[in-house]
Amino acid sequence: MARAAHPDAMKPKTPGRTRTAPPMAPGEFPFAGRYRAYTLFDWTGIIYLLLGFVALRVVWALGDGESAWLAVQGQLENPLYLAFHLLSLVSVIFVGVRFFRLFPKAQPARIGPLKPPPQLVIHVALYAAWIGVAGGLALVLAGGIF
Amino acid sequence: MSEKKTFRITRFDPDQDEAPRTQTYEIPVDPDWKVLDALNFIKDEIDGSLSHRWSCRMAVCGSCGMMVDGKPTLTCKKPLSEYGSEISVEPLANFPIVRDLVVELDGFMEKFESVKPWIIRAKERAVEEGTHRQSPAELEEFKQFSMCINCMLCYSACPVVANEPEFLGPAAIALGHRYNMDSRDEGAHERNEVFRGEGTVFSCSYANECSEVCPKHVDPAAAVNQAKINAVLDWATGFVVTRGKE
Repeated sequence: MARAAHPDAMKPKTPGRTRTAPPMAPGEFPFAGRYRAYTLFDWTGIIYLLLGFVALRVVWALGDGESAWLAVQGQLENPLYLAFHLLSLVSVIFVGVRFFRLFPKAQPARIGPLKPPPQLVIHVALYAAWIGVAGGLALVLAGGIF
Repeated sequence: MSEKKTFRITRFDPDQDEAPRTQTYEIPVDPDWKVLDALNFIKDEIDGSLSHRWSCRMAVCGSCGMMVDGKPTLTCKKPLSEYGSEISVEPLANFPIVRDLVVELDGFMEKFESVKPWIIRAKERAVEEGTHRQSPAELEEFKQFSMCINCMLCYSACPVVANEPEFLGPAAIALGHRYNMDSRDEGAHERNEVFRGEGTVFSCSYANECSEVCPKHVDPAAAVNQAKINAVLDWATGFVVTRGKE
């Protein structure tokens, strides 16, 4: 076991008579085994935070007039920005796939008389919606529609 | 028993040791043995001071959960032939260690009790009215969550349990959810208040490890995340529905 857990983890409110050794965290946490994917999933939050700052900067430039907007567009062609956007894309796909894997079974067994459809139907619907929305946005950005 | 395997076992004597230490045993093993058989061999033949919990030897009682090669495991389940030549055996992670491979259970029992794992009725049914009838479809809604054997492997795998002592944890929430889904029960609102309280279900970050290690395929992660939605619905409907005691 690699590292200590919180010293009060699973500690009873009334301590027993025997002295106990403090709890240890699972040996593979946080960077080995299946925990690696979970930790990566958590870390993607940092990427989204940075992406938010980039988006704010772009919107800010839009308000500062055409020259500022063109300057930012030029900066976004920097290989560092392109690499960051590629990393963001990989993060979104990773989080999306993980979320879609876990989401169906988290549905409530029923809400009143309503029951969720089979898990396979939810899986297919999620991926179909994702591909549909992504495809639609790509068409808009490419000038295919509107 | 020609093959030999080495076991690296965590030892802790609260009267003598400042902190847990590791002791190594090399023993002859039968390939059909489970880790539990090896522990029993060590205790019976080599070192009688080794302490570990076990009972049924058939993955039903939930007593023999330990960290084997770093993973929460029922030591009576997997044959030694599926492990390497060196096997590490440690007490369940995230629990205070009482002695050697034995962990403190009282904290777990407190969390269990707090979710009111019994059928709550607004008004008890008179005996002459007969039994509560339940259809197979109604049973199916919670049956999976009632298969828990309280082995605590899910608590050992959960990164939230490791970091947030107040968190109710997977098995307790799954058990509370099991009663919330029971057609005979009328205590969902009481339990949902517990779910929204100090050990809130919303602490769960859906690592899904609890379900990965569950030896009975209870899927506590599904229960916890269904409980989150139900707790929100219960909170929201509280604004428009007057409840019995209010």
